[in-house]
Amino acid sequence: MLNILCVCGNGMGTSTILKISVKNICEEHHINASVESCSFGEAMSYLTNTDIVLTSPEWAGMLPPSQAVIAETKNLIDTPAVTETLLKAVKENFPNEIG
Amino acid sequence: MQYILDLLLKQIFGQPFLLMAIIVFIGYIAMKQKFSKALIGAVKASIGILVMGMGSSALIANFGHLLTAIQTATGIQGAGLNTYPTMTASYEKMDAVLGAGTGNTWGIYTLLVAFIMNLALVALRKWTRIRAVYLTGNAMIVQCGISTYIVWRFLGLGMVPTVLIASLVTALYWGIFSTLLIKPTKAITNADFTVAHQQMVVSFVAYKVAPKIGNPEKDDIERKKMPESLNFLQDNIIATALVMFVSVAVIFLVVGGAQIDWLRSGEALNQGGLTNTVVFLIWTSITLTANIYVLLAGVRMFVGELMMSFKGISEKLLPGAVAGVDCAAIFAFAPKSVVLGLLFGALGQCIGLVGLLVFKSPIFLVPGFIPLFFDNATIAIFANKFGGWKAAALLCTVNGIIQILGSALAVQLMDLTWWQGSADYATLWVGIIGIFKGIGAMLGIPIAG
Repeated sequence: MLNILCVCGNGMGTSTILKISVKNICEEHHINASVESCSFGEAMSYLTNTDIVLTSPEWAGMLPPSQAVIAETKNLIDTPAVTETLLKAVKENFPNEIG
Repeated sequence: MQYILDLLLKQIFGQPFLLMAIIVFIGYIAMKQKFSKALIGAVKASIGILVMGMGSSALIANFGHLLTAIQTATGIQGAGLNTYPTMTASYEKMDAVLGAGTGNTWGIYTLLVAFIMNLALVALRKWTRIRAVYLTGNAMIVQCGISTYIVWRFLGLGMVPTVLIASLVTALYWGIFSTLLIKPTKAITNADFTVAHQQMVVSFVAYKVAPKIGNPEKDDIERKKMPESLNFLQDNIIATALVMFVSVAVIFLVVGGAQIDWLRSGEALNQGGLTNTVVFLIWTSITLTANIYVLLAGVRMFVGELMMSFKGISEKLLPGAVAGVDCAAIFAFAPKSVVLGLLFGALGQCIGLVGLLVFKSPIFLVPGFIPLFFDNATIAIFANKFGGWKAAALLCTVNGIIQILGSALAVQLMDLTWWQGSADYATLWVGIIGIFKGIGAMLGIPIAG
């Protein structure tokens, strides 16, 4: 199972919308994942047990190095773009997780 | 019969933690999700409501002691600026008269009815010209709570008319202003959504006024260089702690030794062991930040579940509607404007606070990160896009001043220890409060709460 973390500035609005889309995308593509959302400030403490971080470039650039894969896209509420970014990250790094 | 009525109205549909769970559960079932999923969502939402309450009551109590110290030392009434505690402080006021849990329950009904009215306004878009559905759940709950309190406070009505009037005003605000921002948002993001938040009026003004102030071609800050070291200011937790530390330090300096000793005592914050004032100052600012953090964590737990339903319902019923989302969704398109807005908004708020002191205002305000950052960042993005960075700097400074002065006025009208503080809640909504106050006074209704 993949642990996916959706990150935005305050961890309230954008990351929640993102979490909803990511849950739907995972269901559609048969990816077994647990999806959570949080603010950038909290993200640091979740990185160790996260497989993929989904966020926009402004935050991606500020995250500390970790083993988590960082997938970034500019418009976090643009579902087609998020789908493409997420699927690419899963295929490249966790090919066994995609059904 | 009496027992069943009491059970249904007071203990189930009158308890926010159960009411929210039921709404989320129905939402999931309506979206044809599995029963187990619906149940998990409902339980999480219910925990979220209670966690929010814990953070909020600790925050309001702790912050209240600081306000008491200011009042004792200077005679000035203080209030904090932050969105979520304003909602919960409103509910506390209502609960004190109507019974525990009533405020939040009425607020949740307002949320539901306002959302339905927003959908109806969009369904009738041929006549209303409203095309956007406001989906920013975290802002919706706060705004509905405040509207409910405004109507109840000045009109003194029962639940049904209060909820209906508060919903109508809120739904019109959501629909009209998020629709007005569709065009400028598209110009910035090239995507089909709009900003639905709490600085929509001022953002629209910035979009219209900025071209008259500056040149967006020559002065677009997104094409200029800016030091990256300023980016840490966007980390919400650190920035909140920083704003708290500075504010509490100023409060300590103002109230003096005797009041600080009182704050340490068992009557107030109960930290007698922290005899060193600097350590006590750090403890106080970190504790207040932690209280805000717990409140946010609770809100996140139920708002996520709620938005899931709202988004699904809206897409199903109104496929052509424009989704209105949190202002932060546009931040990635203009990261430099975001930092610029924060800096000049802070400058404006400082000028406003000095203004309150100079003009001997009977109210002092403690600024908050949410209204300071999110509003000025958003306004800066619109202003920079249509008028360049000089327009953004000027408009955010002015907005910062207005946020302080308008909020001081609102605090006086609303008699709360917290105020929303956002741009629209320091302008348009102060007017709306004034109108309700006027109507109440005209009809001779005594002010409640």
